[in-house]
Amino acid sequence: MTLAPRPASEQKEIRRIAFQGSGGSLFGIYIVNYFLTILTLGIYSFWGKVRVRRYLFGQTQFEGDRFAFHGTGLELFLGTLKAIGIFLLPIMLLSILPDLLALPDVAKTIARFLVWLLFMTFLPVAMVGARRYRLSRSSWRGIRFSFRGGVREFLKIFWTGGLLSTITLGLYYPFFEMRQQSYFIGHTRFGTQGFDFDGKGRDLFWSFLLTAALLPFTLGVSWVWYLAKKRRYFWEHTHVGSARFRFPITGGMLLGLYAVNLLLLIPTFGLAWPWALVRNARFACRHLSLEGPLDLGSITQEAMDASATGEGLAGILDTDFGVGV
Amino acid sequence: MRAEGDVRTVRTEWTGSYLDGKAPVRRPASIRVLRRGLEITLEEGTVLQWFYRDVRQAQGFYAGEEVRLERGGDLAEVLLVAEPGFLVSLHRIGKEAVGHLHDPRRRSRRATFTLLAAVGALGGSLAVYFWLIPFVADSLAVRVPVAWEERLGRSVTEELAPPGRHCRDPQLAQAVGKIVERLGGALPGTPYKFRVFVVNDRRVNALAAPGGYILVFRGLLERARTPEELAGVLAHEIQHVIRRDVTRALLRQASSGLLLRAVMGDAAGVMTYGLEAARALAALKYSREAEAAADAEGLRLLLAARIDPASMLAFFEQLLAAERRSSRLPPYLSTHPETLDRLIRLRAMVSEPRADMPTPLLPEADWQSLRLRCAPGAKPTRNE
Repeated sequence: MTLAPRPASEQKEIRRIAFQGSGGSLFGIYIVNYFLTILTLGIYSFWGKVRVRRYLFGQTQFEGDRFAFHGTGLELFLGTLKAIGIFLLPIMLLSILPDLLALPDVAKTIARFLVWLLFMTFLPVAMVGARRYRLSRSSWRGIRFSFRGGVREFLKIFWTGGLLSTITLGLYYPFFEMRQQSYFIGHTRFGTQGFDFDGKGRDLFWSFLLTAALLPFTLGVSWVWYLAKKRRYFWEHTHVGSARFRFPITGGMLLGLYAVNLLLLIPTFGLAWPWALVRNARFACRHLSLEGPLDLGSITQEAMDASATGEGLAGILDTDFGVGV
Repeated sequence: MRAEGDVRTVRTEWTGSYLDGKAPVRRPASIRVLRRGLEITLEEGTVLQWFYRDVRQAQGFYAGEEVRLERGGDLAEVLLVAEPGFLVSLHRIGKEAVGHLHDPRRRSRRATFTLLAAVGALGGSLAVYFWLIPFVADSLAVRVPVAWEERLGRSVTEELAPPGRHCRDPQLAQAVGKIVERLGGALPGTPYKFRVFVVNDRRVNALAAPGGYILVFRGLLERARTPEELAGVLAHEIQHVIRRDVTRALLRQASSGLLLRAVMGDAAGVMTYGLEAARALAALKYSREAEAAADAEGLRLLLAARIDPASMLAFFEQLLAAERRSSRLPPYLSTHPETLDRLIRLRAMVSEPRADMPTPLLPEADWQSLRLRCAPGAKPTRNE
């Protein structure tokens, strides 16, 4: 935890991440959350979500300092209410009303198209909104993260990428993913310090193709191999200034992690979920490091506020976009 | 802000780190714990005074976690102290002024609370499942307008048996229509219009959708030896509709799914839930009470329509016997619990003496050929 200057002879600066949480503590948090959620008929779940996040962030250390999550339950609750108003309500009305009012088939088709259009619009909006919210509520050493990407830019990436992936029967998908990652990382900041991503779609294209071709013969296991490769590639093409992340994991390592998690979860009917979560976090932190010079002294606070509506939307759409670890 | 007299035995000097909320730099700080606040001295000599009432705790609630105190708005100043004993001395000296900060001496209470919460969670889940959901669904079911039930019923039947799979034989339709008419005639004042469709499906089954839609599968029709036997099944299903058992069961299923999702912490998939529930209609189970009531009321309906009630019992017995012989057949009756009890009760009701004589259903129709008209080419299911 000291900030003693490193010897000049040390060419490579390596910074590591550590996760110190325990499954037992997390389980306790989940139990209390579940109890209060039932007692309040679901309302408490937003506060519970915040407690879990605060714990997970607080247990993650980088250079001896813990991350912190600053979101609140009330924020999440109001964000979800807003998201229900602008998204869920129109969708429900559009999908139920034409039947209830016995409208002609043309109206039903139009309603169905509108539902689809709403989905295709709100899904990317939620992805951006959730990221904005989460990063704006995350800090390390008192400095906030932020996300500065515009929604319009992502809508373009999402729609063209989705369209091209459909037309090419999925062949475009690795390029699509790469463009999303580039957008998400490229607009992420820590204080005044930006992150950069320099991955290229063609680097993963052949692995993707091979995995897809082998999928039926490996009963899906080849997908884990591709996942490991992709996660490693994504991290290792992410920089902060001239420092670069290292994440040397292999498909075998990831498969081992998943297999043990399944062995924990199946016999306990999912009750071991907190332990699986802690195992995932430990795995990520054990392998992730930041290499190269990083001048923390030149970074200053530059926070940007964000509303929780996008986070609420993401909750409704059942999408979970991990931030960082 | 002076520490005095009785607190001399408590450690008041601590060391930690200070973050100013402007740069990611940890600055060593020495801290004095006073009655109403903290006196923080930074390395270069700056002295900060933090009143307890302005301070909030963000971390340090769990063993091994650094204590993190914050002061100020969103981009707060932060004070970090590694030793948990710091919090204890805060409470010793600050007393009620630090009541809003965590006290590590109370952690054992948290363990007790967690245990109680676990017990409570289990009890709460059971109460919600067995009491709250049925209560909510039941009180909603009687308030759903019939017009909504009809529309729901129509989309559910279209989902389960698209019109292309209906039997379109006009003579059969006419015969079934006459049976429904006779039963409906004995139900004055019902808000429902009963629509019975024969589905070209060899399964032996019949089911009711909300709002008066009833599906009879070809397999069941072919097994009905007389029109009265089919009428018995229809009377039973009609009672499920009138008593809103289907609507109630769909609501129960939908609300338990919704609640499960709420508890899991995401309000997800709410809009798709209605459809999922509709698809599961075939697998819906009614409660024992609902089945007994549909039997009893169905039987009463047969009597009111002057249809021989013994045929209902005979048909159920025949179906049960066939199901026992061959487990290959998807069952109509055994989806209902306590089938034997039901048969015994039906038998008792049928044997009660009655004044008016039943009049035959479809006396001039050739039922034996009618019941096979749905799939003339198909080999009829063997009957005895």
